Amino acid sequence: MSFFSMMLKMSEGLSKTCAIFFLTLLFSLPLGMLVALMRMSRNRFISTVTRGIISVLRGTPLMLQLLAVTYGPYYLFGFSVSRNKLIPVVIAFAINYAAYFAEIYRGGIESIPKGQYEAAQVLGYSRLRTFLRIILPQVVKRIMPSITNEVVTLVKDTSIAFTVSYQEMFTIGKQIANSQTSFLPFVVAGIFYFAFNAIVDFGMGRVEKRLNYYR
Amino acid sequence: MNLKKLTGLILILVMVLSLSACSSADKGGTKKKFIMGIDPEYPPFSYMDDQGAYTGFDVEVCKAVCDELGWELEVFGVNWDQKLVQLDANECDCVWSGMTILDSMKEAGYVISKPYFYNSQVLLVKEDSGIASSSDLAGKDVAVQLGTSGEALLNEDLADLAATFGNVVTCDSFLKCFTELAGNAVDAVFVDLPVALSYTKENAGYTIIDEELGAEEYGIAFRSGDKELCSQVDDAIQKLVKNGTYKKIADKYPDIVDNLIFLNQ
Amino acid sequence: MTQETRPGTPVLELRNIEKSFSGSTVLRDISVTVNRGNVVSIIGPSGSGKSTLLRCASFLETADGGDILYDGEYAMQGGRYADKDMLWNFRSRFGLVFQNFNLFPHYSVLKNISEPPTLRGVSKAEAEEKARLLLGKMGLSGRENAYPYQLSGGQQQRVAIARALALEPEILYFDEPTSALDPELTGEVLKVIRQLADEKMTMVIVTHEMAFARAVSEWVVFMDGGVIVEEGPPDLVLQNPEMERTRQFLTNYEK
Repeated sequence: MSFFSMMLKMSEGLSKTCAIFFLTLLFSLPLGMLVALMRMSRNRFISTVTRGIISVLRGTPLMLQLLAVTYGPYYLFGFSVSRNKLIPVVIAFAINYAAYFAEIYRGGIESIPKGQYEAAQVLGYSRLRTFLRIILPQVVKRIMPSITNEVVTLVKDTSIAFTVSYQEMFTIGKQIANSQTSFLPFVVAGIFYFAFNAIVDFGMGRVEKRLNYYR
Repeated sequence: MNLKKLTGLILILVMVLSLSACSSADKGGTKKKFIMGIDPEYPPFSYMDDQGAYTGFDVEVCKAVCDELGWELEVFGVNWDQKLVQLDANECDCVWSGMTILDSMKEAGYVISKPYFYNSQVLLVKEDSGIASSSDLAGKDVAVQLGTSGEALLNEDLADLAATFGNVVTCDSFLKCFTELAGNAVDAVFVDLPVALSYTKENAGYTIIDEELGAEEYGIAFRSGDKELCSQVDDAIQKLVKNGTYKKIADKYPDIVDNLIFLNQ
Repeated sequence: MTQETRPGTPVLELRNIEKSFSGSTVLRDISVTVNRGNVVSIIGPSGSGKSTLLRCASFLETADGGDILYDGEYAMQGGRYADKDMLWNFRSRFGLVFQNFNLFPHYSVLKNISEPPTLRGVSKAEAEEKARLLLGKMGLSGRENAYPYQLSGGQQQRVAIARALALEPEILYFDEPTSALDPELTGEVLKVIRQLADEKMTMVIVTHEMAFARAVSEWVVFMDGGVIVEEGPPDLVLQNPEMERTRQFLTNYEK
């Protein structure tokens, strides 16, 4: 198999890699905000439980969580294992990344000076308006570098989907590597991931630049 | 071809650097250490017993071989789809784990022992599935383990059959293949006969389609330079066959006795 | 030292305000009345509770007991605050200028000033026109599109004053408005406050600028340890204090 036919075959899996990537971001970014707000809730019960869940999600490998989401329902309740592996993959990834994003959001929200809330309150901003118009835009700017880090990690983490036989790019690469007894597919995979991340880096850099109109 | 060599070289460099500790095997004075590479999830040839120790037919035979030759045995669980890479990287001295001998291995220069087991690939299905032959699987999903001869067959000799399947789902372990089947995510598992036999024995509700899809033999793989090591092991096995130890071990694994070449010559 | 010395109708009345933070009393039985058109300065050592008093009056802190009245209407009665919607209405009657300005860094100067009035039903065009007017008054014409980080501290504080004025409050609170500024920048802020005093804006100023307090205010309140030690016209309290504690504070301050 030539280098280029290898690339062609693996790029078929690239669309599935992209599906994991974009769907995970789509769900985990807002879910993370919900989790962050629960974590900062004044209700002790909610905040303690949320904190526990976050520490489990951050303290166990994503691969295990992926196995648990995919096969757990079958072993525990006898539910069928999903034929479309994209569903458990996105669920596991979204939950895992939401936990990381939640902690980033929390750090960002807590870094906004109290004075911003007080000024908004005195000026007649409702609590929701204060959060959406005054706090959130400042949080977004502050956390952009950390978010970029996570997004770059996510690109590489998509390869974990091979554990549940989802036919993304890396899984296909492993299959080719095996049948051709060749290391080349891994080189190709490396090139793909690097290129993917270069695009992500470029995009996030643009966003950061656009947020640089104030300090 | 050149690119292939180059990548191989890079790989070996990385592996050797990170695993330089493994080269202690040839130290004089102490007992020679023999590292056996196995797939730890491949019963009955190699698996983990209830106490967490590696066992299985291959492991027991290897232990007997080491006792015979005065070597110290170390069992090493390889990543099955990377087994030959790991062998090249000196992570183990052989791959001995119900391994199908492929022509590509010989072409790549690996030294292969005398074949010791006849095998065929079969389809494992649920009893109540109504699937009676491979043609019933048209449009259905079939799981196969990545890096097994079954996977290779579906890609090459049996590609026409594979094309009739809905999806071929490649899992990275047999446990996952069987879980996919149990959880109704696939309709059949394409697997080595002895593995299928031992699975149906331990789990009710499964049956093997009576159709042998690929005849093959099991052997032990050594690095290209290890001809001498290979013949030492081959000779030791023959001794064990003669003195009855081999038979004694085989009797513990009734599922595979009938297919053991040395006992049926 | 009675109401008669300060003519006018009361805009703000604080009666018997009590406040403690985790056991330690910060405000004890504080009563202050501010009449329309008056400027009241509150002075005292740090930790005396003067900022807390302003924060209670502007609902940033919850007082434990007492009454707060704006124009004779209860915002708090006997330690109980009015409901949320009423407090929101009460907030439109006062403005608060913070020590650290607390401008919104992601908003332009114009938006900082013009957005709050739109929350209360003023049209955007009207609010922006008003904002431009106020900026002119603050000597900041032409800086509408600047962002806070592009301004000096004194300029930022003047924007903050304009932002408070945009809501047309009946009374304006200043919480140490020049404490965070370099000495050479305090003058421009004090000038603006003095200008407002000349226009008969009702104001309460917590400050350490004694000379300024004396020049601008009709009434000075000296607080220490959570109580009002002495109050009266500035010439009396700042020149001839009756209480030993006040004298001590002023002497230390001159050093």
